[in-house]
Amino acid sequence: MSSTQTTGARAIATSALRGAGLIDHDERMRDVSDKPGGRKGSSKHRAHRPRPIDAYKDHTPGPSRSSMLSARIIGATGEPLSIRGAARPTAVGRMRRNAISSVTGSTKSTLEPRTPTVARKAVDVWREFVKSRYNADAQFLNLERMLDDNIIRKSNLLPPGAPGSSVKEASVIFKLASQLKPEVKTVSLAHNNISHGQLLSSLSHYLPQIANLSLENNNLQMWRDLDYISTRNRRLEHLQELILTGNPIRELEYKNGRGDKYRGEIGRRFPSLTVLDREPMTVIAFDKPQASSSTAAAKLPTATTFPSDMQGSFITGVEPSLVSNFLARFLSTWDNQRASLLDAYHPSATFSFSANTAIPTRARLQGFQHSKEMPNQKKLEWGPWLSGGEGGSRNLSRMAGGLEKMVKSLHVGSDAAVRAMVALPRSKHDVSGSPEKFCVDAWPVGEGARMCLFMCVHGQFTEEPIGGERSFDRSFVLAPAPEGSRAKLNGWDIMIMSDQLVVRSYSSPEAWKPGPMRVQHGDPLPAFSSQQIPPQVQQELSQIPEPQRTLVLQICQRTGLNVKFAVDCLQGNGWDFDRAVKNFEEVKGNLARDAFL
Amino acid sequence: MSALTSSDIEIAARAADQFTRLYYTVYDSDTRSDDIPNFYRSTSTVTWNGTGYQGSEGVKSMMERMPPTKHEVQSYDCHPIPGNQPPSLLITVSGTVTHGKGPIGNPASTPRGSLDGQPRVFSQTFMLVPDPTAPPAKPGEVAKYYVGADAMRFVG
Repeated sequence: MSSTQTTGARAIATSALRGAGLIDHDERMRDVSDKPGGRKGSSKHRAHRPRPIDAYKDHTPGPSRSSMLSARIIGATGEPLSIRGAARPTAVGRMRRNAISSVTGSTKSTLEPRTPTVARKAVDVWREFVKSRYNADAQFLNLERMLDDNIIRKSNLLPPGAPGSSVKEASVIFKLASQLKPEVKTVSLAHNNISHGQLLSSLSHYLPQIANLSLENNNLQMWRDLDYISTRNRRLEHLQELILTGNPIRELEYKNGRGDKYRGEIGRRFPSLTVLDREPMTVIAFDKPQASSSTAAAKLPTATTFPSDMQGSFITGVEPSLVSNFLARFLSTWDNQRASLLDAYHPSATFSFSANTAIPTRARLQGFQHSKEMPNQKKLEWGPWLSGGEGGSRNLSRMAGGLEKMVKSLHVGSDAAVRAMVALPRSKHDVSGSPEKFCVDAWPVGEGARMCLFMCVHGQFTEEPIGGERSFDRSFVLAPAPEGSRAKLNGWDIMIMSDQLVVRSYSSPEAWKPGPMRVQHGDPLPAFSSQQIPPQVQQELSQIPEPQRTLVLQICQRTGLNVKFAVDCLQGNGWDFDRAVKNFEEVKGNLARDAFL
Repeated sequence: MSALTSSDIEIAARAADQFTRLYYTVYDSDTRSDDIPNFYRSTSTVTWNGTGYQGSEGVKSMMERMPPTKHEVQSYDCHPIPGNQPPSLLITVSGTVTHGKGPIGNPASTPRGSLDGQPRVFSQTFMLVPDPTAPPAKPGEVAKYYVGADAMRFVG
């Protein structure tokens, strides 16, 4: 990549690296490798090995860099031919394997594993080594070229990545590193012949907080090696910068003109990444919580009731009949003539479906799976929803595959969208028969220069031909259908821009039945909802100034006390809501009936 | 209308991954009343189980009156919405949320099989829109996005 890299991008990456503490490794490395006679003293066990460091000596940046990289890879690959390489029967793979065997093949038979013979305990050596490699000011742990480290060499230990080494050494090193103070932010494992993800697994186990990681010039080849540290598997969730330059996993992609795909695959595995291989990632940013606000005196959430009752459908800023007409027609067409929904979608519309296969706790306790009213629940299968519909379920949180499945399961354009829909199981939505089984929230949203309608529908359908019930959530972004458009000509006043369908195990529509809700068992339900205040209470409340009025209302709702007693209770407790409620709970048994509403 | 590219799709999915991770971690934390409103602007419209709240301020007042939560995201999906460049995003999340102390917080007298305190299934849909007034972005940043619309419901 380097020869095509722009100066600007490089400058950015360089400054990011410097900030991250990754940049000074170049200098350190040169110091080590340039040390006169540094390699001369190596043990005879090692003398026959390829020396990764030799290839690294010429360290001129610039246009020659890319060719330098490949030279480094070959030189740095000290491990005998790996089986993984054999699984990739590409021309490049063959070339690479040949390159490796030509280095190691002839000496393989004489290769003896190093055995620790020293009296000193290995863990003490590793501790000394880790300490010697830590730059506390930069919070930078430099684990580059461990094979050439004097401390390790003297003790005859096998560093991670060395032939014959096990994951154990890596675990010891990273565990020791996890005890360093201040905590490690940046790790470089460059130039270590690392070819197995398992080794990285212990890195993410012991140092989950790191922000910068260099794996430059190792021998990582497979995506699954990176899955060991992928944020998608809840590893390295704070990684901002990663360097994989000089690993087959990257270089082969670039060599085959798939650099963009490579960056996409990495981005999918590390969504928090902002810099990859010294180039900024294209990212969408949010106003994340700032350190300042997070350290401000945080008030622990103490509420024991919900901020409001469950309310029915929320439709505002749009004619409710527009919403209900659209839905009635949409769902009935979905059930009966799905292909003709083509008319309802904008030609560029997006559609996807996903299956949430988790078993809902409340539904399980209610025993719906074994209910007599719904005898076919046990016959339902997830297969058609997980892998059907021209690309399968698009549950991004569970999607193991890489980029390809993620792109393939999003259907772009009305033709592709309807093709996918038609391939899904048939269904029946009983909208007119049981409207309480459905619930809609919808309102207009300004999006750039245009207005669109944001609509979320929750409900249930019968999956045919099995006859079992499923619950669903469906989110739409809609736009007014322009005159003369296909949608308008076919009687759709609003047309679909985006459509996401979530199919879940059946849960009762009681979930959105309007009314008060309990947090814990035994909690008193509000005496009346804030939407329906009895007239007498309203009148008495109007005499009380804010902010006291709201508190009094909340006490009335919560305890059932009348306004006079609610005021007394609050006054006696310094107008502290929680204290007042606690006080009420203590004395409620002794209160006369006339204290209540 | 320019067609969505696979790069638009990939960037959107990555943003959704970041957003959902961040949003629910913050929601379940002690600092949520200060931090959750940052995801919104004064023009944002939010509904919580059918009750509307307006803007960051409305979200803040709602968060202050919310019992402690623990969310588990079981599935999410994200589309770049065709039309504008950079595109707005539609994100649908499905999962469970436990309030208060959960089932262990119920009194000992609670009958077996009681639903109180048990996790609820929730469905939350966000529309994320780019903020044209956001300060200059870092290299690589497409734009700064905020929640323009957010509809949350207990659905099980």
